[in-house]
Amino acid sequence: MKIKNNQNSEWHWFTGGIIVSLLAMATYVAFQNLGYKSYPFGITSSFGSITTLFKYPFTALSENPMIQKYANSPAAIISITMLFSVALGGFAAAKINKTYAPESIPSVWKKYHGPGLWKRYLTVLFGGFFLGWGAVLVSGCTTGNILQGWAHLSLGSIVAGASVFITGIIIAKILYPKAGGRK
Amino acid sequence: MILKILIGLIVGFIFGYTLQRTGITKYPRVMGMLLLKDFKILKFMLTAVTFSMIGFYTLDSLDIITLNPKSLDLGKLVGGLIFGLGMGLLGYCPGTMLSRIGEGKKDAWFGLIGTVMGIVFFAVNVEFFKTHLKSKSMSGDISEALGIHQWIIVPVAALIFIAIIYTANKKTDDFKQNF
Repeated sequence: MKIKNNQNSEWHWFTGGIIVSLLAMATYVAFQNLGYKSYPFGITSSFGSITTLFKYPFTALSENPMIQKYANSPAAIISITMLFSVALGGFAAAKINKTYAPESIPSVWKKYHGPGLWKRYLTVLFGGFFLGWGAVLVSGCTTGNILQGWAHLSLGSIVAGASVFITGIIIAKILYPKAGGRK
Repeated sequence: MILKILIGLIVGFIFGYTLQRTGITKYPRVMGMLLLKDFKILKFMLTAVTFSMIGFYTLDSLDIITLNPKSLDLGKLVGGLIFGLGMGLLGYCPGTMLSRIGEGKKDAWFGLIGTVMGIVFFAVNVEFFKTHLKSKSMSGDISEALGIHQWIIVPVAALIFIAIIYTANKKTDDFKQNF
């Protein structure tokens, strides 16, 4: 694969797409052979695994079917490991290629909405709430529903993927109404 | 146990590494896609989908794997709309959020807390959502629903995806910052 021509040192979208696709297929084959029915190459279940911790302070939650499902999933350890390894992968990629640039809020956000930290943090907190709620309702986030769901031509995933864009585009237009020109 | 941890480590690492290296974790890229100005993520995603689709269906035809299409219910529509709301506000999805945390972007931590809260909110009200949004569901297989053989649907879908990639690629230049 020799299409790594990019000034900002990024990989070409084709390279990235093929790698992720091979990864998705390899994990799927491996897990069906290991006998796990549920497909673990999804990030939603990784976040779901964190929720199982809530049953310790809130004992009523230990009876909750969702929390029990996450706790008893045969792939739970993989999901938890992936929480750390995806972040580790991002860290390694940034460090190795010298693009590591810690920041509190994205610079584009700063340009349009000012440097206030809590405005961004609160937006992200609310955004995360909807993201998590929506992800479990459609049973899978981008990874599960698009990378797997669309590749299996699932009706449900195609509906879910299309509806993400409807509200996503509306919110983007509200946040950046004048983002027309190039920098 | 060790095998599981090892698989989780390798798969997650390659995933996070690829997302960061391809630039998928960048806030302007995600928002640029939602503003229909930067299509790199779309091209990346559809490349992965097209390639995996052909791969998955080939493996299925060879009886190596069984496909597992996700069924269609009202929750898919409503959940997608809620997810889009979150993605617009955040500027990234759960996978890229983790990779961004690794990249040292502090706001992603608040996204993580919010996401966990959202899942707990769903878990607490799981009965309500199940009865109202997930009670009527329909099998997720497109070729079954349309009654057309899967090897007719797959090439048609592949051509549609490639056409979208081609059009998006002509429209924008990834090297410029479009947003």
